[in-house]
Amino acid sequence: MFLALREMRHSKARYLLIMVIMLLVSFLVLFVTGLARGLAYANISAIENMPANYYVVQKDADQTFRRSQLTDTELDSVRAVVGDNNASSLALQMSTVTTNDADTKADVTFFAVDMNGLLAPKVIEGDKITNDTQGSVIVDRDLEQSGIKIGSTIQDQATGKEFKVTGYVENSSYSHTPVVYINNKDWQEMRQGVNQGSEATSGAPFNVIALNANAGQVDKISASTKNVEVITQKEAISNIPGYSSEQGSLLMMIAFLFVIAGFVLAVFFYVITIQKTSQFGILKAMGTKMSYLAWSVVGQVMILAIASLSISLLLTFGMNQVLPDTMPFQLEPSTILLTSGLFVGMSLLGSLISVAKVAKVDALEAIGRAGA
Amino acid sequence: MSAKLLMKQVTKTYGDGDTTVSVLNNLNLIVNEGEFVAVLGPSGTGKSTFLSAAGALLTPTSGEIFIDGESLTDKSKSELTELRLEKIGFMFQSAQLLPYLKVEEQLLFVAKQGKMSSKEAKERAADLMKRLDIWKRRNHYPEQLSGGEKQRVAIARAWMNKPAILFADEPTASLDFKRGREVVQMIADEVKNEGKAAVMVTHDERMLEWCDRVLHLEDGHLVEHELSKI
Repeated sequence: MFLALREMRHSKARYLLIMVIMLLVSFLVLFVTGLARGLAYANISAIENMPANYYVVQKDADQTFRRSQLTDTELDSVRAVVGDNNASSLALQMSTVTTNDADTKADVTFFAVDMNGLLAPKVIEGDKITNDTQGSVIVDRDLEQSGIKIGSTIQDQATGKEFKVTGYVENSSYSHTPVVYINNKDWQEMRQGVNQGSEATSGAPFNVIALNANAGQVDKISASTKNVEVITQKEAISNIPGYSSEQGSLLMMIAFLFVIAGFVLAVFFYVITIQKTSQFGILKAMGTKMSYLAWSVVGQVMILAIASLSISLLLTFGMNQVLPDTMPFQLEPSTILLTSGLFVGMSLLGSLISVAKVAKVDALEAIGRAGA
Repeated sequence: MSAKLLMKQVTKTYGDGDTTVSVLNNLNLIVNEGEFVAVLGPSGTGKSTFLSAAGALLTPTSGEIFIDGESLTDKSKSELTELRLEKIGFMFQSAQLLPYLKVEEQLLFVAKQGKMSSKEAKERAADLMKRLDIWKRRNHYPEQLSGGEKQRVAIARAWMNKPAILFADEPTASLDFKRGREVVQMIADEVKNEGKAAVMVTHDERMLEWCDRVLHLEDGHLVEHELSKI
């Protein structure tokens, strides 16, 4: 490190320049990652935050919630395996609601759940609803921006049914729309409103069953219940409409940024190393070990990568503060660690070409040379 | 007196098959403690090859080389690197200082490589810099030094790790006559001060005043000339 540090001290402008480039690249990496995560979260937070690790869907539904349709028969069969408390039905319906107070419309997704079961919404403000309440809903807090407050009345555009908002939940979106939780009783009425004349006997069909189960129980369910497929939470999320394609394009951008960061650094250090070939020859002739020289090169790259990464982390947090709420941005510590690790890793990979070049320099080059 | 450098029947050939060229041909040389030897020869006579072989940078085709009694034959690359660090001091053409180290750091870096304690290194560096009259320049970068000063730093750097022998490759090439003579004189003084040995390769016959022996590289041999003849 003796040489690495002193060289950087001597050629400040040169190393500052590369640091600025790395700073910008790493900032872009972190920022796009944050936006991708934010977008993902806005898309699927309702499913991600559910305390369920598996979902039971209809067999020919292509693992997509909205295509699946199950009845109490399946629910009973599943409950026989995991117990009543670890399985809960979920019915969902995308819709548009209007509110008279604010004269606005909002796209929402209705989630009909058992208010005592696994999927009962965690109310952060206002009052809970029970399975027996009628005409009451709990909505995602994002709807506050559309003017829907606790106490407001919302009307489902398709059925004309009116609901009173009694409470808020947090971080509950599905396919980029806020979730409106209703109980199964209201759900049944809403369905009957749509399917006029159909039998209103046993409960209305729902879409999927959320499970809290272990792998053994999952196998049992697959064997005992007909026409169903058990999928993991991950599979369920990636089959939410739009999720995979959205994340795919962002992921490609991030991957390219990593490659670019690696290349920029590799080329820069390679050019510097070539310029210093004769110096390395002299150092080797004087008896400097190759391992020392390799660490010198790697050390410089590490210092630059970590310094620029730290600054760009600060920049990212600063940027997050000034971003408007409507722009989803999310960076969990684990994502930061992974991204930072990858960035430093790519930088190290880029420096290896230079190390290989240094290894090839022959100490003989020092003798019989006139110029530096 | 013990031999600091001993070269026995050293041959170095380049190329293969019919087109081999022997640059060094059964070369013999003994340099004893306290001796300052000059090796002369016009360009292309193999001065660089001779210095590279003696300086453990190049393995000869045949023959044996001993530095401070240690044979170079059968040593691995990293063992040779270590030997260069401990036993050999190099001076190159146009000094070849590291541009980003201050004068004192040039010396301390070498000492650090040689695992000298930092207190001892500081004392030795100060001692050398004072003797070579570069003490006032110790916090300057090489770019701020004159050619003669740079070579004096190079002398100090070469002696820093107390090597058994110093090899100088055309140390006066980039200097004018007066500065060149000063540098050679300083090398000679340090040989006497340190009780070590030095071999200087040069093509400049005016720089031989302080040398104990002058050898000419001719057809791959070293031929001794009487000093008085020059």
